[in-house]
Order: sequence, then structure tokens, then C-alpha cells
Amino acid sequence: MRFSPGKLTRFDFVLAALLAAGMIYGALRITTGLDYPWNWQAIPQFFFRRDSTGGWGPNLLMQGFINTIRLSVWGALLGSLFGFAMGLARTSRSPFLRLLGFLYVGMIRNIPSLVLIFIFYFFIGDQLMPVLRLSEIAAYGPVPVRKLLEFLFAPAHLLTPFLSGVMALALLEGAYITEIVRAAIQSIARGQWEAASSLGLSRNQQLWYVVLPQALPRILPPLAGQFISTIKDSAIVSVVSIQELTFQGLEVMAATHLSLEIWTTITLLYFLLTFGCSLAVRQMELRTGKGWA
Amino acid sequence: MEDLMAKRCIWMNCGTALGLLLAAALIGGLAANPSWGKELRQELVEQSMVEQVLRKGVLRVGMSTFVPWAMHDKQGNLIGFEIDVARRLAKDMGVKVEFVPTKWSGIIPALLTGKFDIIIGGMGILPERNKKVNFTIPYDSSGMSIVAHQQVAAGFASLEDLNKEEVTVVARLGTTAAEAARKHLPKARVLLFDDESQAIQELLNGKAHAFISSRPTPAHLAARHPGKLFLPFPEPFTREPIGFALRKGDVDSLNFLNNWILLAEADGWLKERRDYWFGGTSWEDLLK
Repeated sequence: MRFSPGKLTRFDFVLAALLAAGMIYGALRITTGLDYPWNWQAIPQFFFRRDSTGGWGPNLLMQGFINTIRLSVWGALLGSLFGFAMGLARTSRSPFLRLLGFLYVGMIRNIPSLVLIFIFYFFIGDQLMPVLRLSEIAAYGPVPVRKLLEFLFAPAHLLTPFLSGVMALALLEGAYITEIVRAAIQSIARGQWEAASSLGLSRNQQLWYVVLPQALPRILPPLAGQFISTIKDSAIVSVVSIQELTFQGLEVMAATHLSLEIWTTITLLYFLLTFGCSLAVRQMELRTGKGWA
Repeated sequence: MEDLMAKRCIWMNCGTALGLLLAAALIGGLAANPSWGKELRQELVEQSMVEQVLRKGVLRVGMSTFVPWAMHDKQGNLIGFEIDVARRLAKDMGVKVEFVPTKWSGIIPALLTGKFDIIIGGMGILPERNKKVNFTIPYDSSGMSIVAHQQVAAGFASLEDLNKEEVTVVARLGTTAAEAARKHLPKARVLLFDDESQAIQELLNGKAHAFISSRPTPAHLAARHPGKLFLPFPEPFTREPIGFALRKGDVDSLNFLNNWILLAEADGWLKERRDYWFGGTSWEDLLK
């Protein structure tokens, strides 16, 4: 179904004029009323710096940006895993699995994200991480393994906090993805289950061959929205000193006092990430035929 | 039909067996704890922070960004008084040093949960903190001073001028500056921020009368914004000792670090570093 562009009416012009007036007023207030010595020239040097060998390397803000990308990707992947598993649990026949899913969603959704991250980082993370022994492999393992771990996650001495942050983020996002998956599965007409069952398929086969393929295009748009939410939520883990973009921005601000320039830069970088994600999602929606053209 | 039921039976039995095996393995693993049965003194030595750092070959230091105690320069490297102290300590121990930048308001919990081995970040020795962590002897001493907004706090020249209900004072959350504000200015309204740059921006915007911080930060701020900020009184109004912070129960490490501090003080190195970082601002060009 195509929406026609439509004609511009008088109301549109009035609205546009009001918006323009509002923006001009805002811009004037910011530039004259703020009394802040803008210094944009000092910002680019915090993205790239000259190495000792003469080449270019990433500086604090660029390292933070890359860490944010790592956090978001791993958080979204792991969160999807939890979300799918728990979504299937919530729609399963076993009352124990349904209870498990219900408790998971109830606990995570009803605690503020910040509080959850603190609890996970300080209490649970320390009990779980030594079991994985990843920090030792990262510090003493063979060099290619070390380099791979550093590229995928974080350098050895920051690996444990990074993984705690990823786990916390994944738990958070998983709760919301659970609900998305549950809603998609439950939105498939009962008739589909009954028809599949009448063909002699077991419950698992009904799920895998008939229901899930229909549910998947319904999961994708809200799931993509949840990925964008993950990118923004990754800023919260800066409170436990994980060195992502917000944290590095605050560090640079503390040393140079370039508060407003750095906040603006950080906002633009997050917008770049989330808008890029939205565009990719749009392409995917068009391809699966579910999106409006 | 029977075929399907037989398959299901086998899966369920296998699953139960695996589950029980896993539980047994976990319990066995917990029970085989090797530390049972050693002498207590041996245990203490092995568990001490110094011993573990020497074994791992790396000293993890927790700090937070406080200009000029510890900060990032233009290249993204860490510089500052505390950084110099930590580097020299690691060199004298013969290990590498790794800095773990941490938010100040969460730095003690981070130490207690083992995110790093020691706090070298200009931490003032306070009884409240001492209840949770151990401190070494002081290697530096600091004092609080105040910088005020010229228009908003015009004419203020003493602590009494600031100790009024309509006065707003800003400080950094969790620092001794916040403590000093509550103790010496009980009537004033104290706003706490997680980072110094946020507190300073509040002052520069004219929303607060004054900013309390350890010397030399207020003096540097007044010099950097001559038209806007001034120092109501130049002398610090408190004195506080600064020490390294360690987890409790570690006598070996305390002894090692106390002696290291005595030595660094005796050969004049600490004084020379203090004069460089706190006595002047020649390092400011490194920052931006």
C-alpha cells in the first residue's frame, strides 16, 4: 500500500512557521544566554592520536565508541538468546517453564536498570566470572587468543567488568525480548496449531515447522527497536566504570572542562549508531515484505 | 505410538542421570577445597596483596580522574601525581602497573569486591572509610579550599558568609569536600555531583555560590576564569592526610607500603613530585 505525498495545506505552513520560530528562539537563547567559551578545535584530537611509531591510533573517545559498539553487539546477541529461550518457556506446556519465564520477566522489568546493573556488577558478577576463567586466559594464554579476546571484548585487566556489563545488559534486554517473542507466538491463530496437530505433528514440530516461521516476521520490527534501546542502555553501564563512550567522555571532560562540546559530540555519536541501526532495520522490514513502502 | 513413548522415556532418563551427575560433580568440586589444612600464618602470607601481585606480575591500581592527581592527557595516557606514585611503586616492586579508572563514588566497593588491588587516588583518611578499608601512613596531605562566583557570591570573604540558608555550595559526591561542606557549612544547601566538571559547570552557570574542593583545584579554577570566579580566602580551611587504601586484614602489604612511603619521603622524591604537580601549572599544556 503506498501513501500518496498529499497536498500542502495552510495548516502545514502555519505549523512549519511555528516550529521554525521555536527553533530559532532556542538557538538564540543557547548562543547568547549560555555564556560558555566554546572550543571545538580541541575535540578532534581526542578521537585519534599519533602513536610512538608515527602511525595513528584511537584515542579516548574513539576507544569509548568502539567499546560501546562491542557492548551493544554482545548485549543484543546474548539478550536475544535469553529472550528467545524465555519466550519459548513462557509459551510452553510445562507450568514450571512458564513460571520460570514469568519470574524472569517480572524481576527484571520491575527493577530500575541502574539498580540492576549495580547489583549485578558488585554482587553477582564476582561470583560468576571466576568460574569462566576468561580473565586468566586473557592474561596468560597464547598471544593469538589474547589478541582475539582483546579485539572481541576488552583488554585483559578490564575483561571481567566488561563481561559483567554485557551480562547485565543481556539480562535487561532479554526480559523485553521475551515479551516480544511471547506476543508474536501468541498472536498466531489457534487454528494454525490445531491444523498442524491434526496433520499428526508433535507439539515441538508444530512449533518449529508451522508457528515459528509465521511468528518470526512479527518479532523482527519490535526486536530491532529493542536493539536500538540496547545501544542507548549501554550508556548506563558507565556508572560501574566500564570504559564505554559516556565514561570516556566524562573522563575527558574532567581533565579539560570542555563539557558542552563533549556532550554534543557524544550525543551525535549515539545518534549515528541508533540511526544507522534504524536504517538497517528499515531495509530488513522492506525485504521481509512486512514494511510499508 | 509406543516408539515415540519409548524415545521420550530414554531422553527423560538420560536427562535425569546427567542432571544428577552434574550436581555430584559440583558438590565434589566444592568439597575438594585445597586451602583446608594449612597453617594460618602461611595462609596469610599467601593471601596478602603484595604476594599475589608479585605472583601475577601486575599491580592493578584503582583511581579516579581528579585534576591534577590523575587525569588523561591529549594522547589518552594517564598522567598526574598519583600516577607517578603508582608507577614508581610498581617499578620498585618489579611488576607492571595497570590503572583501572573508576567512578569515585563507587571506588571503595570496587576495591572490596576485588576489581583492583589498591586505591592510589588521593583518598583522604577518614574514620568512616577506615571502617571498611585499611589505610597506609600518609604520603601527602591536602586541605579544602573554596572558589566562588564573582557576581552570585559578591563580597563573601569568610566561611560564615557561606554558612547561610540561601547559599548553595557544590562539591563532588563521596569526597572529603562533601564531608567538609556538611561539617563546616551545615546551614548552606549542598549539591553533590558525580564528576568535578559537572560541579564546576554548575558554578560557572551561576546556579551555585561556591565550589569546595581540595587544593590546588580552586586556585587553578580562579586563575582560569578570572572574570567569573574568585577565591574568598586563599588558605585551605582543613587539613587531611592522604594514604593508600587496601582491603582489610592484610598486615604484610601494609608493612611493605608503609616502608615504601617512608623511603620515598626520605629521599625527597615525593616532595619533588608534589612541587611539580601542585606547586605550578606547567603541566596544563599536556591536557588539551
